[in-house]
Formats: sequence, C-alpha cells, structure tokens
Amino acid sequence: MTYILQTSQLTKSYNGKEVASGVDMHVKQGEIYGFLGPNGAGKTTIMKMITNLIKPTSGDIEIFGSKLTDTSVEVLKRMGTIIEYPIFYERLTARENLSLHCEYMGYYDDKAIEQALELVKLHNIDNKKVKEFSLGMKQRLGIARAISTKPELLVLDEPINGLDPVGIKDLRELFKLLCREYGVTLIVSSHILAEMEQMADTIGIIQHGKLVKEVTMKSINGEQTEYIEVMILDVKKAVYVLEEKLKVRNYKVFDERTIRIYDVDLTQAELSKAFVMHDIGIESINKKHSSLEEYFLNTMNEKEIHIS
Amino acid sequence: MFKLMKLESKKHKLAGYLPAVMICIVLIFAVVGLMGWGSRNEVETMFPDYQAFMSLADIFIRTVFLIFAGVILSRIVIEEYRSGTIQLLFTYPIQRKKLMKAKLIIVFAFCFSSIVFATVVTNILVYLVSPHVYLFEAPVTWNDMMSAFPMTLVNALMTAGVSLIPLFFGMRKKSTAATITWAVLIGVLINGTVSNGDSTTSLFQFIWVPIALCIFGLAIAYFSYHQIDKRDIA
Repeated sequence: MTYILQTSQLTKSYNGKEVASGVDMHVKQGEIYGFLGPNGAGKTTIMKMITNLIKPTSGDIEIFGSKLTDTSVEVLKRMGTIIEYPIFYERLTARENLSLHCEYMGYYDDKAIEQALELVKLHNIDNKKVKEFSLGMKQRLGIARAISTKPELLVLDEPINGLDPVGIKDLRELFKLLCREYGVTLIVSSHILAEMEQMADTIGIIQHGKLVKEVTMKSINGEQTEYIEVMILDVKKAVYVLEEKLKVRNYKVFDERTIRIYDVDLTQAELSKAFVMHDIGIESINKKHSSLEEYFLNTMNEKEIHIS
Repeated sequence: MFKLMKLESKKHKLAGYLPAVMICIVLIFAVVGLMGWGSRNEVETMFPDYQAFMSLADIFIRTVFLIFAGVILSRIVIEEYRSGTIQLLFTYPIQRKKLMKAKLIIVFAFCFSSIVFATVVTNILVYLVSPHVYLFEAPVTWNDMMSAFPMTLVNALMTAGVSLIPLFFGMRKKSTAATITWAVLIGVLINGTVSNGDSTTSLFQFIWVPIALCIFGLAIAYFSYHQIDKRDIA
C-alpha cells in the first residue's frame, strides 16, 4: 500500500502540554481522508504540522515519500491548503489574490483561475475586494485558491464551515469529483459527522490530541448492522414475547423502555402485530442502521471520554 | 529574489506610495525654501549658503523617509503577521528566509533610494529656483552640489540601516502602531538638533552614532529571520 502521507509518533507540545501526541496517520493515495474530532482536539495543529507551518516536538512526517524537514518547501508545490480559515489579502480582489497565489506557487496557466472559480461556483465577483466577501464566499474562494494549482494533495481544515446546505452539497460533490476524476488525495477535517460519513473513504478519529482510531468507512458500514428500535411500556413482557413467541435471540434491552432487535428477518409489521396481540403498548417503532455517529460515540465512550 | 520583491510590491500596492513620496519632497523643499525666503530681509538670514540650506533639508528628508520606511515596514512585514497572511505566504514553495529577506530589502532599498532621490530632486529645485527667488545668501555652484553628493549616499545608506530598527519593537507584539511610533521616535531623536545659539549639533553628526545604529538595524533584520525555519507560525 502506498501512502501519500504518513506520520509516526507525531507529537506537539506547548509549554509541556501535549496538543498532539503520538499520532500515527496513514493517508492512501487517491482517497478522501476525513479527520474527525470535536473542537480543540488538535486537528488544526496536526494539519499545520503537515503543511510545515508549525514544527513537531517529536515524531516524523513523511509526505510524497520523503521526510518533512524544517526547510522542505518543494513538497508545498504539490499541495493545496486551507488552514483554520481562509486568509486573503483583503484589499485585493478575488482574481488578484488567485493570480498572486499562482505566481508564488510557480504555476502559470491563465485558464487555471477561471477553471477553479467555475468549479467552486463562485460567480459575479468581478471587481469586488475580498473584504466585502461573506464567510461562505471566502470559503469557496479559499478552495478555489487551493485547487487552482492542480495539487496532488489537498489539506482542507473545516472547509464547510460557514456554508449553506446547498454550498455544502456542492463542495461534497466537488471533493468527490476531484478525488475520483483527477486522482487528488484529500485530507478534510470536520467536526460534522454526517458530512464525513457521506464523503470520506477513511476516517481518523482524533480526541485530545490522540488519533484514537483510523478506519475505512467500508469497515464501519460492514460492522454495523441494521436494527429495529422499539419503545414499549413493558419491557419484561416484550422480552417474553420476543423469546418465546418470535424466537428472537439477537436483541438487546437498551433501557427500561427501549429494545433493539438485530434480527434482520423480522419485519416491523410482524413485530408490532406480535406486541399488539400480547397487549404490549408500543410508543414507537423504527428501523435504523448504525451510523458513523454511533461509531464515533462508541469509540469515544470506550475511551471514557465525553465529547463536548 | 527580484521576482519576489516585485510580487511583494504588487501585493501591497507599493506603487501607490509614489505620489506621497513626491508630495513629501515638494513639501520639504517648500518648507525649507520658505524659511530662507522669509528671512531675506532680516539682519541675520536663515541660511548663509547652500550648505546650510541643504543641512536643514537633509534633516527633514532623513526624518521623513525614515518614518516612511517605518510605514512600509509595518505594511509588508508586521501587517502580514497581524492579519495571518504570513501563514499563507509560508505555505508557498519558497524558503521562508528568502521571503523575509525580500521584504526587508524592499524597506532598506526604499529608504535608501527615496533619500537619494529626494536629495537629488531638492538639489535640482535649488538649482532652478535659487537664481530667481531668494533662498540663501551665497550663490550656489554646480561644484558645491557635486561635492555634497558622496556624503548623501553615505547618509542614505546609514539611514536605511536605521530604518530596520523599528522591526524589533513592532515584531514583539505584532503591532503596526508600535513600528511607526518607533520610526518617528528614532527619526526625531537622531536627527533632532541641539543648539546653543552659535552652533548646532545633532546625533547624526557624530559619525559613529549613525554607523552604530545602522549596524544595529541590520543585526535586528538578520535576527528577525535567521531562526525562522524553526519557528511555529501560529
């Protein structure tokens, strides 16, 4: 397996306090790597270390097959980044910002800027200065800037911040397009689980500076099965019905009123019919499948950590 | 390096300062000229000769463009740190040292060349105006002007070095206000004259003062970036 980026025991501490500790990340070429964690977990710190803005206290980063050192700048040519929030030269217009960016990156293609603006659907910005832009527009412009030089690796910190639902959907599609059609590798951080779930191929869950888990979405989806969740008034009676009448073994009593039935052969209709016949009051009955959210929360709970 | 300097000046629209530079030069000439002209009927005129006229003009020029350099320094260095655009700049495939050098060279070069330019323009104005309008007693010769020129270069060079000193104070709190304040303070301090009636003197006239300050300025510039590769950009 070729990794475009991997870190080993990456640690950063400020005044003796570890903001990132012992992070072993593995990002495969051509995938979308979702970096998931609550606010203040250390996502930005790690991304800043990847882009060489801050220097690790210990540990290594290997990027495009070579080790990142204090003075590595050549790798930056192959990367597009947004760290924390998109920063621009506010007094210049969007196009001026992008063309400066291309010049600094050493990328000369007149069409690149227009293409990038087109991809993020940023229109009618002709002579507007960036300081007049809304956060959502800046976010789009930031992404346009990051992709304008056709990088192989995109490092995007909270790219969907400040975007409306349509914008989020647009970006999700854009990221997928970049990844599938152009073979770009993306590292995207977010604290929004549902977004990550729809976008990422691999998820790295980070909590208190530690990478708690690194899993592929495929394996999460495989692990987690569908279940029926019923809320009833009398759990004891319901269990009896399940065991004796329906011969269901694969269930779990969640609390005093909730039972989850993992037996996939059983339909909701059969279940409700059985309960009604035995005079068990049903408050609600739902078919669900475990999502990333649950996985995430479970992982967090295993570590006995509460998310804020 | 030249390309970086060009990008830098494009980014911060430094060309926009040119009209201000011109206005400063004309104003300095007007102020000093008016002093001379205004005192034409006094018993003791303001300027006995060209040298006296230029010594005051030089003081104004040095002070004004030292402060001007402070403004540019705060714009292209301090402001980038304050607004966070330095973070963007350091994600480019260019060595940080090189980027910082380009910025500091711009400040140094601006201060040097604007002082030289201002002195030359003032001289030309003196040459054109003094035969027609009273500015000072003794008529000026071409020779007087040419012989003053080497010293102008030396002074400009030293002032350019001094112009980097505010960097030290500005960088501590990433404050543009502190940068410009210190530029004013230093400018006034070393160019301000002390007089006992007969003779005047300023710190700038003791040659070791500007030399020491110039070296100090260059040292500050060097130390501002020599460890920059190891530093975190927050």
